[in-house]
Amino acid sequence: MENYHFDLIVIGAGMSGMTAVITALNQGLRVGIVNTGFGLFVFGSGCIENCQTLHKEAPENFNKAIDLFLENARLAECPFYGSINEIRYLPTIMGGFQAVSFAPFYLWKGNASESIRSAVVGINGVSSFNADYTAERLNYTAKFNDFKTNYVAKEINLSIKPKSVASMLQFANRFDFDSRFYDELQEALKPISREADLIIIPGIFGLRSKFQKIYDFEHELDCNLCELSNIPPSIPGLRLFNVLIAHLRKNGAEFFSGFSVKNLEIKNGHCQTIEVDIPARSLCIDFDSIILATGQFSKSLIGLDFFDVDEWLRPITKSGTVIADNLYAIGDLLRNVGGNDNRHSILTGYRAGMSIVERR
Amino acid sequence: MLCNSINLDNCIKCSDCNAVCPVSIVYPAYPGPKNLGPELERLRLEGISCDTDWIEYCLNCYRCNLVCPNQVDISGMINMAKAHHKKPLIRKMRDFWFSRPWLLGRLLTIMPRLTNLMLNIRPVRLLMSRLLKISSNRIFPIYIDSDINVPIHDVPKSDSVIFFLGCSIRYNQPDLGRKVVLFLQRIGIKSVNIFSGCCGLPALANGDIKEARVRARSNTEYLIKDVLAGSFVVAACTSCGHMLKTCFDGLLDEDSDMKHKVQKIAKSTFDFGEFLMSRSDLFLFDNNISSSNLRIAYHAPCHQISQGIGRPWFHLLKRIPNLQIEDLDAGCCGMSGTFGFKEEKYKISMDIGQRLFDSIRDVNPQMVVTECATCRMQIEHGVKIKTIHPAELLLDLISAKT
Ligand SMILES: Cc1cc2nc3c(=O)[nH]c(=O)nc-3n(C[C@H](O)[C@H](O)[C@H](O)COP(=O)(O)OP(=O)(O)OC[C@H]3O[C@@H](n4cnc5c(N)ncnc54)[C@H](O)[C@@H]3O)c2cc1C
Ligand code: SF4
Ligand code: SF4
Repeated sequence: MENYHFDLIVIGAGMSGMTAVITALNQGLRVGIVNTGFGLFVFGSGCIENCQTLHKEAPENFNKAIDLFLENARLAECPFYGSINEIRYLPTIMGGFQAVSFAPFYLWKGNASESIRSAVVGINGVSSFNADYTAERLNYTAKFNDFKTNYVAKEINLSIKPKSVASMLQFANRFDFDSRFYDELQEALKPISREADLIIIPGIFGLRSKFQKIYDFEHELDCNLCELSNIPPSIPGLRLFNVLIAHLRKNGAEFFSGFSVKNLEIKNGHCQTIEVDIPARSLCIDFDSIILATGQFSKSLIGLDFFDVDEWLRPITKSGTVIADNLYAIGDLLRNVGGNDNRHSILTGYRAGMSIVERR
Repeated sequence: MLCNSINLDNCIKCSDCNAVCPVSIVYPAYPGPKNLGPELERLRLEGISCDTDWIEYCLNCYRCNLVCPNQVDISGMINMAKAHHKKPLIRKMRDFWFSRPWLLGRLLTIMPRLTNLMLNIRPVRLLMSRLLKISSNRIFPIYIDSDINVPIHDVPKSDSVIFFLGCSIRYNQPDLGRKVVLFLQRIGIKSVNIFSGCCGLPALANGDIKEARVRARSNTEYLIKDVLAGSFVVAACTSCGHMLKTCFDGLLDEDSDMKHKVQKIAKSTFDFGEFLMSRSDLFLFDNNISSSNLRIAYHAPCHQISQGIGRPWFHLLKRIPNLQIEDLDAGCCGMSGTFGFKEEKYKISMDIGQRLFDSIRDVNPQMVVTECATCRMQIEHGVKIKTIHPAELLLDLISAKT
């Protein structure tokens, strides 16, 4: 019986796996992805941390990797803003700031260095976010760091569906599909928008809504917005995941989602096939090359021999032997191995994708 | 269906499942997969009663299972909990019939003309809504009394396939069944046996675990001999395929012999598209597919996705020269077999389908193709667009082996 066959199989659809897929599709490869869950998108908002050190280490690759990722995020209708030389401090839900070089459009405007009045908006009845606490902490941390923004806590009332409890997930789903909710949220935020230069709100702008809708919302409100990632699962993180997956599918990537790879078959230094754990029997997928982007928390598929990676990002043993000539490892998976510091998801995803193209 | 404590302890309460549940999305009062699955399961295992009407609102779509980072069998737990759920008499009566599409099919095809006339006249529908809580907004499928009359040659030593017909093809679309058999014969499978039992999934989804067990057992006893002799079981209905592959195991776990049989059948079961994709040796892939100028959209049914087989039909149809095909990728249709027929669930069913309906309107195809009969019903109901099984389209475009 024939199996599926791809030029490249990527295991894991976190930030690194997605970047590898983007790179390979861009080079015209036929790509399949096997993934379970949302990866670390459930924790984050998708911002790209301070890039300066990485940029210095691998300037040419880094520029290209970032450009390609940003271009695809734009095509997926979730544009990022920023630049490699910039560091911007953006608020977090815990009342701290993170230094980032790029962030998705819904987060980017929360620049702490500007001397503006920010309203931190909580929603009455939602227990997972305390606007008072976040605003208090932000003011404290801002003062400590000499940031100029001033934070004021505000609360809005939103209707909830009968017999349900107020949750950010409920509001996000309604933002996606219910135009009355969209209007209701506008009305609730209007009075605050008159007094503030920036509205900071936990994840609410849908799990599927794209740039234009959120932009229109902001435009209608006539006030800048900054949407924080809420406690997991993060609404903006899942939204970014959803739009990127839809974009990659549209561009020909074939997803095998929901089932984990249980075995890699490596024979004579070559990885030949993977077994995916689907109902009733395994699905075997053949490929020319394979990238592991399984993150730092999953069971290792290549065992204890995995010591480090070579210059092409292929896993090697302690003695320097390549484990399989067509097998690559990227992203947080590299956290667990070797002295390799260079585990940046976008950079390693890009580098592995390009390694495969160059070595074909 | 792994309702064991190891599976239960895998739950880290991340709520990722709640983020994808089609019911939770449109109906936030629904407690969601995390609560109804692993949370309550803990109490159920301790013998604490925690029956709730909400359990009936699960579509059995498996989307929660697929997104769970720790492979918790959430919908399996909910299915089993449905068995202990107490319902009011009217709903119990209705669900008795919904659990037995084979019985309904047999009765309604005794006088099909009269049945079809009756089922779709307004006063009868209103009466059914009153007496049986079946939504009067729904149009019943046409019932047809017909055998799949295709001459079947039993050729020794040729590949042998058992075509698992399923109730919907048997009683509502025998013509599709005929086409599937023709298709298999045309591409070189000469020995096709037809099996027309009910897979038991409607019973499982309606909480009638006894009936589901009866179906699972009789299917197993019937199929096992041929399967052991090397036959493949092929299902053109994705819910039948899903049931045969994933659910018999949990229903018939009484002894190791039965378990062995059930696993053997699961291993030999193929979705029709999956079967075709896996058989490059068959005649299908020579250059003999005629071209088509159609612009179509493909919808992947939940029970196709839950089988983890990729998108076989999407790829098969892509081989048709000139055909324009787009994958709608717009989630669950909301019908879920008999769920959408139920008065109290009709609105939720349509609200869930809205995303799919909108996406069809955006793509504006000439027709939609999808493997599942009740998805086809829902799409035609929600968008008024012709919706067929992909095999019907492809069969017309492949020529017979000479
Ligand atoms: C709380 C938190 C907040 C963070 N915030 C930021 C931030 O703001 N900015 C930033 O730049 N970085 C941030 N990071 C770091 C960043 O999230 C990670 O570096 C990056 O997302 C890692 O991506 P990855 O693709 O390597 O792995 P992951 O995102 O972990 O993806 C791995 C995927 O592979 C799948 N997988 C694993 N094994 C298998 C298998 N056998 N079969 C199939 N699939 C499999 C997993 O299910 C998972 O989906 C944060 C990390 C954490 C924990
Ligand atoms: S997704 Fe899985 S682990 Fe997370 S809450 Fe649901 S059942 Fe538990
Ligand atoms: S099977 Fe579907 S409807 Fe039922 S809880 Fe899971 S996601 Fe929700």
